[in-house]
Amino acid sequence: MSVYEDLQARFDLPEVPPEGEPALVDVSRHVELAGALKDAGFTMYVTVCASHFPSVTPKVKKGQEPLPPTVEAWEVATVLRRPGPNSEAFAWRVRVERPVVPTLYELFAGADWQEREQYDLVGVIFENHPDLRRLMMPEDWDGHPLRKDYAIDTRVAPWR
Amino acid sequence: MTEFPPRVDPHFDIEEYDPEADLMALNMGPQHPSTHGVMRIKLFLDGETIVKAVPYPGYLHRGVEKLCEKLTYVQITPIFDKHDYVAPMTNEQAINLAFEKLLGLEVPLRARVLRTILAELQRIASHLLWLGTFTLDIGGTIGGGASMMMYTFREREMILDLFEALTGCRFHYNTHCPGGNRHDVPEGWETVVKAVLDAIEPRFDEYEALCDNDIFLVRTEGIGVLPPDLALELGQTGPVLRASGVDHDLRRDAPYHAYDLVDVRVAVDDGCDSLARYKVRVAEMRESVRLVRLLLPMLPQGPIVGSKPIKSLIQFKAAAGQVYVGMETPRGELGTYLIGGGDQRGAAPYRCKIRPPSLHAMAALPYLLPGHFLSDVVTVLGSLDPIMGEVDR
Repeated sequence: MSVYEDLQARFDLPEVPPEGEPALVDVSRHVELAGALKDAGFTMYVTVCASHFPSVTPKVKKGQEPLPPTVEAWEVATVLRRPGPNSEAFAWRVRVERPVVPTLYELFAGADWQEREQYDLVGVIFENHPDLRRLMMPEDWDGHPLRKDYAIDTRVAPWR
Repeated sequence: MTEFPPRVDPHFDIEEYDPEADLMALNMGPQHPSTHGVMRIKLFLDGETIVKAVPYPGYLHRGVEKLCEKLTYVQITPIFDKHDYVAPMTNEQAINLAFEKLLGLEVPLRARVLRTILAELQRIASHLLWLGTFTLDIGGTIGGGASMMMYTFREREMILDLFEALTGCRFHYNTHCPGGNRHDVPEGWETVVKAVLDAIEPRFDEYEALCDNDIFLVRTEGIGVLPPDLALELGQTGPVLRASGVDHDLRRDAPYHAYDLVDVRVAVDDGCDSLARYKVRVAEMRESVRLVRLLLPMLPQGPIVGSKPIKSLIQFKAAAGQVYVGMETPRGELGTYLIGGGDQRGAAPYRCKIRPPSLHAMAALPYLLPGHFLSDVVTVLGSLDPIMGEVDR
């Protein structure tokens, strides 16, 4: 019995693992799922990837009713791995409309720097993180560069 | 099972430290020659003993992930050469594995075997450079100090010559593309590879004989002890994880390329210290020589690109989809979290998150350094084999 089947009922995951992308989990179950996976042998913290989905107005053909713009959202995908022979990676996503997600630092010490980096570049705030500072950009940097509304040619004042 | 000291709290308040102690804050870097690039570590010292270490990466941050969102799948490969400038071959392979999974491309067997051979040769070259700089870092442990570096660079040159014969470049090859390889093996290349391996293999014994001296052992044994549970939590991979006694190697445990055709013997050591990391890397170089010898006769005839040859920058298109693909580079698991459907044509990724093994290795420093002397900082840092271009991207 695979881990997915084990966790499927408990965390309201789709019955079949979705093809092509990790399953969506409610943000309130985020830490609980990570804990359940750690108990199931997924002890290696692999990565966290936050991404920004800005509000866009869908294009419609001439004469059709205009559609309402989509809601701005952030997605945080986390990947854990079971080490050893027949290693397996498990990934899941949480989608939030306010960039606040609980931290996994209590479970995985490696979440410390990874979540700092995502906070720095995408601007997702990891609640209860012990030391949420910028990791890559200078501490007085303005904005979060990997947000979609941050233009690649944004002019910045020379730093120091 | 050995006893490990209690885990250090990397966020403890330095103000709470013994008020009688004469603390000193020392900045190491960002231009310290032993930091393998530009990296600043703020050290709090009590006498010569480290109480707290706070690393500050980011001096080489070039915004590669943002750049990837603006380029197409064909254009991204050469950027990946430039993160980890010590192992560009495996970096290219890692991003192309992710592209192939997202785009659903098949790679022909000849390209898969060739990629495996290149990955193993790159592993030898990368570990050779590490061995040379590591012995240089810990300062004159073998006679003049620089002698080991001269020896390992001599052998590394032979492997770079092999890559040059194949791709025309000594570095930054750009020889992989989604769906296969760009350069086929030139005539007689296999014979040269065999000759190079025959020349290199006996030299590993010489390295071990050179490093088997009291100064090297004193400088590395028991320095930077990383317990296995902490190593896993921190996401350590590659030689750092295996030197902590965890038997995990993606080449064997989640085979990609042509690793399912060969039996990879994984080198593991329970030492958990800098000496164990040295032992694991030397064992891996021997294993890589064995794997290349096994794989060379297996190189089949046939095409090296699965799809049509690349003629257009927007040749590969994918709808939205999210994949995570990890691959074992010389430094550990280099993963890519890829979200497709970046531009209207679908030819660029929406988000491309790189998971560099060196960043995770650097995250271990606040746990490893406290309790050691100042002179051991370079030993611990060197034994983790960080490449700052990859840490900061």
